[in-house]
Amino acid sequence: MSSTTAEAGARHAATPPARKGRARLSPLERAERRLGLMMLAPAVLLLCAVVVYPIVELVTTSLRFEHLAQPWMGTPFVGLDNFARAMSDEIFWSSTLNTVIYIVVTVPGAVLVGLGLALLANQPFKIKWPVRLGLLLPWALPLVFTGLIFRWFFEFNQGIVNNALMLVGMSPRQWLSDPFLAFVATCIAIVWKSSSFVALVLLAGLQTIPRSLYEAAEIDGAGRWQQFVEITLPMLRPAIVVALIFRTITAIQTFDIPYAMTNGGPGHSTETLAMYIHKTTIDFLDLGYGSALAVLMFAVSVVATSGYLRYTKRDPRKEA
Amino acid sequence: MTTFGRRRTVWLAALIVAANGFIPAIWILLTSLKTESELMRMPITIMPDAPTLQNYVRVFVDQPILTFLWNSIAVAALSTALCIVVSALAAYALVRLRLPAPGAILSALLAVAMVPLISLVVPLFQTMRTLDLLNTWPALVLPYAVLSMPVCVMVLVSFFQDIPNDLENAAMIDGCTRAGALWHVVIPLTAPGVFTAAILAFVNAWDEFLLALTLSSRVAKRTLPVGITLYQGEFSFPWPIISAALVVAIVPVCVIIAVFQDRVVGGLTSGGMKG
Repeated sequence: MSSTTAEAGARHAATPPARKGRARLSPLERAERRLGLMMLAPAVLLLCAVVVYPIVELVTTSLRFEHLAQPWMGTPFVGLDNFARAMSDEIFWSSTLNTVIYIVVTVPGAVLVGLGLALLANQPFKIKWPVRLGLLLPWALPLVFTGLIFRWFFEFNQGIVNNALMLVGMSPRQWLSDPFLAFVATCIAIVWKSSSFVALVLLAGLQTIPRSLYEAAEIDGAGRWQQFVEITLPMLRPAIVVALIFRTITAIQTFDIPYAMTNGGPGHSTETLAMYIHKTTIDFLDLGYGSALAVLMFAVSVVATSGYLRYTKRDPRKEA
Repeated sequence: MTTFGRRRTVWLAALIVAANGFIPAIWILLTSLKTESELMRMPITIMPDAPTLQNYVRVFVDQPILTFLWNSIAVAALSTALCIVVSALAAYALVRLRLPAPGAILSALLAVAMVPLISLVVPLFQTMRTLDLLNTWPALVLPYAVLSMPVCVMVLVSFFQDIPNDLENAAMIDGCTRAGALWHVVIPLTAPGVFTAAILAFVNAWDEFLLALTLSSRVAKRTLPVGITLYQGEFSFPWPIISAALVVAIVPVCVIIAVFQDRVVGGLTSGGMKG
C-alpha cells in the first residue's frame, strides 16, 4: 500500500497543475470534467425546480393581476401597477419599517449577547457539556416554539415576567397588548433565540486565538480590558462580520417569532414585511400584489447575501 | 485573583450560559407537569404542587400529535436523505474533479440556495397547487432539501478537502475506477462529515415553519411546528396542552444534539466560518 501511495504521489506531482483551455485537456481530464458536471447536475436541477423557476414565476406574477378569490377577473398583465400600489400602501410601509427596526435592534443585540455568551463559555471547564448544550439548545429550538414559550413568559396573569415584576413590587405590564411593549417582548425573544448561534460561531473564533498573544501582552503589562480591545476584538473581526451578515440575512425574513407571539398585533405594530406578504397571498389570496411585495424583499436580501458571499469567497480546491 | 476566586468566576460563567439556554425549556417542562387549575392560580407556582401527566394524556389522546410527529419525522428524514445525496455529489465534484471555476460555481450554488423563503412562498404555493401537491410530503421535502444545501455543501467540501488526493489515486492505480475509489475510499472516510451534515439538515427541516404553514396546512398533513402553533383553545390559548406538546416536539431534537453535540458544533462553525 505504502509503495503504491508513493507512486501515485509521484505521478500526481508530475502532472502539471491547472492547465487552461479546453484543447489542452487530456482525455482523462476531459472524462473527469464530464463526470464532475454529471455530479453537479442533481443539485442544479433541484435548485432550478425549487428556486430559479419559482423566482421567474414570482416576477411574472408580480406584473399581473392575480386574485384567487376573483377568478372571473382573469390574470391580466398590469405592468408595474402592483408596485405603484405598494408605494401608497400604509401597511406596506409600516411593516417594512417594523422589519427595519427588527434588523437594527436584533442584529447588533444578538451579536452583543452572543459575544458575551462566547466570552463566558470560553473558559477551561472540566465538564463541557452543560455549557455547550446551553448554547446549542436555543439554536435547535424551532423559532415558532421560541415564540410560543416567550408568549407564555410574557402572559399577563400567569407569565413569569409579570410575576417577577410583582415580586419586586412593580406593577404588571400589558406585554403583548401594548404596541411598544409587544415590540420589546418580540425583540427579546429574537435576541435570545439567535444569540446562541452567534455565540457558537464567535466561540470557535475565540478558540483560534493563540494563547501566546495574551501571555506576551501580560508581560508587556496590558490589563484585561486592554487585552480584550487590542487582541480579542481584532482577532475576532472576521467571525463577527460573518455573524453580522448571517444574522442580517435571517432578520430580513423575520416571521415565526412575531407570528407565534403576537400574530403581528396589536394592530399592525409587530407585523413584519414577511408576515404582510404571507397574509396578503395565503390568507387574502391576492397573489399579484403579494408577489410584487416579495420581489421588493427579494431584491433587498440579494444585496445582503452577495455581501456575505463576497466576504467568504474562496476556491474549494484550495485548503482552508 | 486567588485560585478560589478564579474557580468561582469560571463556575459562575458556566452557570450563566447553561441557565440562559436551559431555563425556557425547563420552564415549559415544569408548566406541562402542572394541573390546569394550578396554572390558573395567582401568584404562580415554580414547582408543580402535584406533578401530573394528565396534559400529556390529553395531548396524545385528544390531539393528533402522533400524526404531526409522523409527518415531521417523514419530511425531515426524506429531505435530509435527498439533501445529502445531492450535496455530496456536488461537493465532491467541486473539490476533486476538474470543473472550470469551481469557486464561482460554489458561490452560485450557495447564492441560489440562500434565497429568502418568503419569496418562494407564493410561486411554490401556485406550483404545488397546479401540480396538486399541496398538503403532501413532496411539497415540503423538495424545498427543505434546498434549504439545507448551503450548510451541507460547505460541511462536505471541508471534509473532502481533508482527504488526501493520493489515497484515491492509489486506489485508482490499483484498478479502481473513479466511482470505485469514491465508493471504497472516499465515502468511508467522509462518513463523519456526511453524518454531521445530515444532523444539521434534519434539525433545519424539523424546525421549519413558514413553508409548512403555507404548503401543508391541512390537519392530517401538518408538521409539529404548524400543528402546535395552530392549536386553538375555545376561550384562551390552551397552555396546558401546548406546553406538553412542546415538550414532546422538543425532546427528539434535544436527544440528537445532546448525543452528537461535538459534531453539531463542528459542523455549524465550519459551515458558517470556513465557507
